[in-house]
Amino acid sequence: MSRSLSTNVRRAVLVVFGLAWLFPTYLIIANAVRPAGDYDPSDAVKPPSSIGLFDNIAEAWDRTAIGDTLLSTLLYSVVSPALAVLMGALAGYAIVVLRLKHGFAWFVTIFAGTVVPFQMLLVPLFVGYSKVTLYDNHVGLIIIYSAINVPLAALVMRNFFGNVAVSIFEAARLDGASTFRIFWRIYLPLSAAALAAVFILEFTFVWNDLLFGLTLSQSQTVRPVWAELSALTTDVYAGTPVPIALAAGLVVSLPTVVLFLATQRLFTRGLTLAQF
Amino acid sequence: MVSTRLRVTALTAGAVLLAAGCGSGDSGGSKSELKLYNDKGAWKPYFEQMGALGKQQTGLDMTPVGYTDEPTYTAFIKTSFRTNVKPDLFTWSTGGRLEEIVKQNQVAETTKIWQDAIGSGDLTEDLKKYYTVGGKQYCVPLNTAYWGMFYNKKIFAKYDLKPPTTWAELEKTAQTLKSKGQVPFNQTTPTSLFSFAWFEQLLAGTDPDLYERLSKGQASYTDPGVVQVMERWKSMIDKGWFSKPGDKADPADHFKSGEAAMVINGTWFNTSMTQRGLKQGKDYGFFFVPNTNPALPKRSLVFESGPLCSLRKAPDAAASTKYLKWWITPAAQEKWANARGDVSGNPKVKNADPELTKVTEQAASDGNRLVLRYFEAAPSPVLTEALSGFDKFLNKPETYMDVLKSIQKVNEDYWKTHKAGS
Amino acid sequence: MTSHKATASRPKLTVVPPQGNGRRHARGGRAGFALHGRFRHVYISPAVLFVAVLLYLPFLWTAYLSFTSYDGLASPEFTGLDNYRRLLEDDALLTSIRNTLLWVVGTVVLPVGLGLLVAVLSYDLKGGSWFRLPFLLPYAMSGAGLGVIWGFILQPDGMANQILSLFGMPGADTAFLQDGPGNTIAMIIVWAWQQLGVNMLLFVVGLQSIPRAPIEAARIDGASGWSMFRHVIWPLMRPITTVVFGLALVAGLKNFDIVWVMTQGGPGRSSETLAVTMYRDVFVANEYGYGSAVAVLLTTITGLASYVYLRRQVGREEPR
Repeated sequence: MSRSLSTNVRRAVLVVFGLAWLFPTYLIIANAVRPAGDYDPSDAVKPPSSIGLFDNIAEAWDRTAIGDTLLSTLLYSVVSPALAVLMGALAGYAIVVLRLKHGFAWFVTIFAGTVVPFQMLLVPLFVGYSKVTLYDNHVGLIIIYSAINVPLAALVMRNFFGNVAVSIFEAARLDGASTFRIFWRIYLPLSAAALAAVFILEFTFVWNDLLFGLTLSQSQTVRPVWAELSALTTDVYAGTPVPIALAAGLVVSLPTVVLFLATQRLFTRGLTLAQF
Repeated sequence: MVSTRLRVTALTAGAVLLAAGCGSGDSGGSKSELKLYNDKGAWKPYFEQMGALGKQQTGLDMTPVGYTDEPTYTAFIKTSFRTNVKPDLFTWSTGGRLEEIVKQNQVAETTKIWQDAIGSGDLTEDLKKYYTVGGKQYCVPLNTAYWGMFYNKKIFAKYDLKPPTTWAELEKTAQTLKSKGQVPFNQTTPTSLFSFAWFEQLLAGTDPDLYERLSKGQASYTDPGVVQVMERWKSMIDKGWFSKPGDKADPADHFKSGEAAMVINGTWFNTSMTQRGLKQGKDYGFFFVPNTNPALPKRSLVFESGPLCSLRKAPDAAASTKYLKWWITPAAQEKWANARGDVSGNPKVKNADPELTKVTEQAASDGNRLVLRYFEAAPSPVLTEALSGFDKFLNKPETYMDVLKSIQKVNEDYWKTHKAGS
Repeated sequence: MTSHKATASRPKLTVVPPQGNGRRHARGGRAGFALHGRFRHVYISPAVLFVAVLLYLPFLWTAYLSFTSYDGLASPEFTGLDNYRRLLEDDALLTSIRNTLLWVVGTVVLPVGLGLLVAVLSYDLKGGSWFRLPFLLPYAMSGAGLGVIWGFILQPDGMANQILSLFGMPGADTAFLQDGPGNTIAMIIVWAWQQLGVNMLLFVVGLQSIPRAPIEAARIDGASGWSMFRHVIWPLMRPITTVVFGLALVAGLKNFDIVWVMTQGGPGRSSETLAVTMYRDVFVANEYGYGSAVAVLLTTITGLASYVYLRRQVGREEPR
């Protein structure tokens, strides 16, 4: 590949594409930084004449309780993907390495969890949760977020384990290791990077969820951040000035942006499906 | 092997326990604090101001639980009736949606509150109608809003225009603006939600009886009267009197930049204006839209009123009722109106803003005939079809007959299973 | 049984270990101890349990409602197949099926196809991660402001129109979001803007993990450029392409968020997808029964499509 296209042509194409991709991102940032009073939807490209970002953020903080929700959002975004990745890895291990009977059927059963339209789960989940006091409860949200994330974890881990040489497993078994010990001591460490990669994708998903957070909880200490933030971004009766909503959105996505940037290197090594 | 299973179990259990440790559980308990569920998440600061005053005056604390997506909110509240998670107080809408939950025997009656409040002049007989199901009253008004025309004072001054008092004057105003290259009417955005605004205004201003019969299933959407209204609306669009549909911006942004001359909206739209630093009386004004048909005895005035309700089986029914009673007192209403910068349903309330007080007084005049907003007047399936239909019409005015026919089809199906006129 | 194949693929283990407890034969036909352990179901049960209890079980309620008439309040009234009969006559449903198919094709062509292109162009470039940064930002910033910003670009007389007219290109007065099926295509572009980064990243990982040996061997055989990619690199990327395409298929079929934010399915239902139609019928129009039938239809289509795809991709590798 690299020989047919000169490196410079490749760079040029990437830069052109990249600039096109950056344009909407620029619009978000420019209008979040713009003082709310200067905002004009028909002139949104104009660079902000002064910095209103911090006033906008302060204003957003004033109107909502975003701050109160960050801790529980972090809890969900860390614990649920961690559980999901673990469950997915265990399932993938059973199917591919332990060669579970009807493995494909089991795999499809787990993967098909993503097929269900999530909106339809809200009403029955709320009814069920209210019966077992999981409504408005951190555990309740952790459980549903875990379940939602299991299929992706199972899909990736299944494919990953499939590429680890079988001889490793067999040798360890012959040395007398239990199947769990092999999972815990060999397969998990070998796939640490893949686990991390799935974790990051799922972290982003949970961090940005509005659907379940809004319906399955009510108090400020349980609701996730988007349940608060959506008051600024989607409520037509509010008439919230756009820069305030954008600034709040920008601040709230900061953790995921930082996570992505910080893990770029890990990520590209992450899902490395090399033969071991 | 046993150890393997144990370890897996222990691991899973441990993780769940760890998570459980962080759980907060249900709040429940004594009811000195009420939760007010609402679909107006952005109004949180205003609810909180009310909460503080309410605590002083009633001893009951109140915390808002806001939703932002109305459909999800409605589904949530309806579902809560079947669970033990019951809201102490919740916002709702009048019309068919109030009727259906009352018929389920869920809503606490407020007949006594209404009797007393009408006696003391805190609520009006006019409004009572919309809170009555089967001769009894339910809920109290959370807020009241009137629909009319917001206009840009600078643009009106520039072309020497005054708020019109007749339909002919309104048409002339639009013509003048158009001839100067100014689009007269901004769309009431988002049109996916408010595409009904001109439909209700034109129909109620032409034939309010037909409008009411239409919402009760006693008239057809293909009635000549309705068709005529669509044709008038179309001719206005054809003359270029409306801004292009599909603009996502808040109309207040266009008022601020000086592009918009007029927009039909509810009085709650004042919040959008004031948040952008625009002042009523100086930057913008508000007038009630004159009847299209000058022969009508009274001016049709579109209004909406959002109920604040409590359940019969509320966790602490007495506390909820006490709070509802307090909500409509002049002290509470004055706080609410001023916090919101909107009018009050209580005619005795004086707004800090004299312009708003003027609107409240004008609305209470005998010369008006209150007409329920289309959003509340039409049953859900019909409304849903109509909102899509009118939005399509805004983009392709020539499709008006198809639009009416498709609404009528849903209308017919709906009233086949729900008794018309009830 | 696939015992023969399994043995053939793992020729290393030929000696039966003496320390096996020898009570019975392990699955896979090997004699001796249970090579794969005897509590394999314990490993898979947490995942299956979570998915079954939290995703399948609640969905049964929807499946049940699809045979009833229900407004979310009183008790559901059993109406048999009425809702499904109505599905057949619903013109709006045809539009939303067409749009849903557009979404599937669009998702594969744009976010996935372009993601692959960017990955191929950048994976072995020096400083490649810097070139990839612009594509990752939209995903990491997900949701925040997307509707507003793309509103500026796509609205009538918006930036897209201005840019087109600046270069004298056709389409300068197209109202991108106001007409079907063009509005669906416009939204797929928005979707591509947001999702390209994830696909690109997964592809980069796939490319970097390709073992060097087969590539060198192919190079010696004279393969290069397209034929190298098509016949050597692409097949070796299969573990990752399965993940990317599997996810794209499901995401395309279930698309809801972008449409709901940008057009709510309008104007006049012209940009509805099956998921939007379902949401509209259930939650907006309060027709739980009919909306549930749409949900069942959507689930069936998505389920079948992913089954067929996965069967082709991974099914043959595993014992059944």
